[in-house]
Amino acid sequence: MSTITDTKNQQEVSESQTRSAWANLRWSDISLQVFLLTVGLIIALPIIIAIFTSFKSVTDINANPYSILPTEWTLENYRTAWNSVPFGRYLVNSAIQSSVIVFFQIAFSIMAAFAFSFLEFPGRDKIFYLILGSLMVPFQLTFIPNFITVSELPDQCMALIGESATICNSLGANTYFGLTVPFLASAFGVFLLRQFFLTLPKDLHDSARIDGAGNFRFLWQIVVPLSKGSISAFGIFAFLSAWSQYLWPLIITNEQSMRTIQIGIRFFLFDQERGVEWGPLMAGAVIVMLPTLIIFLVAQRQLVKGIAMTGLKG
Amino acid sequence: MNTTTNTTPIGRRIFSAIEGYIYLAPTLIILGVFVFYPIISSFNLSLTRVAPFGGAIRYVGLENYQRLFTEIIEGGEYWNSLRVSFLFMLGTVPTGIGISVLLAIALSYPLKRLSWFHRLLIFVPIVISSAVTGVLFRWLYNPAVGYINHWLTYVGVDPGPNWLSSKDWALTAVVLAVVWRQLGFNVIIALAGVQNIDSTYYEAAKVDGANLWHRIRHITLPLLSPTLFFLMIINVINSLQTFGEINILTDGGPGQATNTMVYAIYVDAFVGTPLRGYASAQAYILALLILFMSLVQFRGLGSRVHYS
Repeated sequence: MSTITDTKNQQEVSESQTRSAWANLRWSDISLQVFLLTVGLIIALPIIIAIFTSFKSVTDINANPYSILPTEWTLENYRTAWNSVPFGRYLVNSAIQSSVIVFFQIAFSIMAAFAFSFLEFPGRDKIFYLILGSLMVPFQLTFIPNFITVSELPDQCMALIGESATICNSLGANTYFGLTVPFLASAFGVFLLRQFFLTLPKDLHDSARIDGAGNFRFLWQIVVPLSKGSISAFGIFAFLSAWSQYLWPLIITNEQSMRTIQIGIRFFLFDQERGVEWGPLMAGAVIVMLPTLIIFLVAQRQLVKGIAMTGLKG
Repeated sequence: MNTTTNTTPIGRRIFSAIEGYIYLAPTLIILGVFVFYPIISSFNLSLTRVAPFGGAIRYVGLENYQRLFTEIIEGGEYWNSLRVSFLFMLGTVPTGIGISVLLAIALSYPLKRLSWFHRLLIFVPIVISSAVTGVLFRWLYNPAVGYINHWLTYVGVDPGPNWLSSKDWALTAVVLAVVWRQLGFNVIIALAGVQNIDSTYYEAAKVDGANLWHRIRHITLPLLSPTLFFLMIINVINSLQTFGEINILTDGGPGQATNTMVYAIYVDAFVGTPLRGYASAQAYILALLILFMSLVQFRGLGSRVHYS
């Protein structure tokens, strides 16, 4: 591709046309447009109609259940959803849970990746493969022991520092600590950032040392600013997977006030015992997917590049 | 940092030897407690049973594994969840890969206009969570107000199947929802693979007068095989791990129709009377299956990253 980048856009298109499976099939341009647009609309349709339905009034939904567009746009469903379950609280919980996870995954991954790419110490490569190996341990194996570990933390904490220690109560199930602690480190992040740090010239480290900068200063003042792209790409992945988490928040919270929004929408569906109100439910679903949809629209290129490069979703 | 620059050369040497571990400490502690320790503790757990009265935890040796083995022999619940997981895999993996390769080839055509828009529409499910996927499809499948059966009437299927409450259709319903959510990821990987194919092959084929089908059949697909292999492994692992959609769409039912291995573990460990030992034995078997798939793929991961 590098040979093509300096030519004009027009040439690039016609040149790569002759160089793909599609060579010399110019007629297919229009039929492909139609095909891709149709398939694309079918794929995006569940999201599109969910968004439109969330703006339909309940009477509109009952009268015209299968129309795509609302006859009259209304925020009624959002009001109903917002008032019937504590969506605000769920949003706050998810925001806290996700940002804590993203913050610590970024910080800890930067530190570990730095150690693996710039420092030398005994056992370094073995430890790196150990961390990489943790990617192969499926969550299905760890979630039962982790549930027990986190649930028992308050008791163990009290045994250690005394019955009266109220801080111990903020460590177990139904706490932000319990929601986030198993995910504060990311082997994927360490791997991804190490890959990038290895591309930085070693001379940087040497000259920083000659200038008297310690490793810590070198990391935060030189490596991190140079790696903003990779770090933010990883941050996006970390956020998407933290925000979408399901199994762990489901088992580690049983109080409504501690549910994340993914679990909240599940109970919003399940708690409507007779006849689900689909309008408010779709309003709820739109609220849940809005942050990730916005990220997708803003950072689609980065996201796609990241997935294609690493083959991982985070 | 002043403290380090002022120390003696020996102190400095000691510090620089342990400095790396300081940077690694947070990651190692978290992974140690929540990934590595559970490898051992869940095996220990799988050798225990909670006594029916009093709740004391008893060591029972391989009893839980024996029970699973008996269930396989006798065609019990565990046999069913193995069967359902296998069918789920057969439903999701070839469908997901087939559709995504087709779309990747179509997307690789250098359209002058709108190609960003096609990609936007096709990729968008990658940011949808499994909970939202479950909620959306629960609505779409609804026999009274759902769009899917309504649209089926246009092609002469009337009435459509009772997707989520029919034993024959529930698994298919979950499969379709999961294929939908994972499609964007699969297309992105497949597209990267298609675009990596050296264009000179196509030029040579053009000289030989090969048509589009021949070029796809004899150039694109064979050269895509490393990507296809990677996609297959990843999709098998994902299919073995699917949880959210099942939880919301069918809760493992109707009957046991969608009670996959993962779902059975969750139900045994957390729903009703917790059977954590028995669930852990199942988790261990599932983990070994996934580990095997990961090991097969692991070498591929290294070479992929080297390559890019």
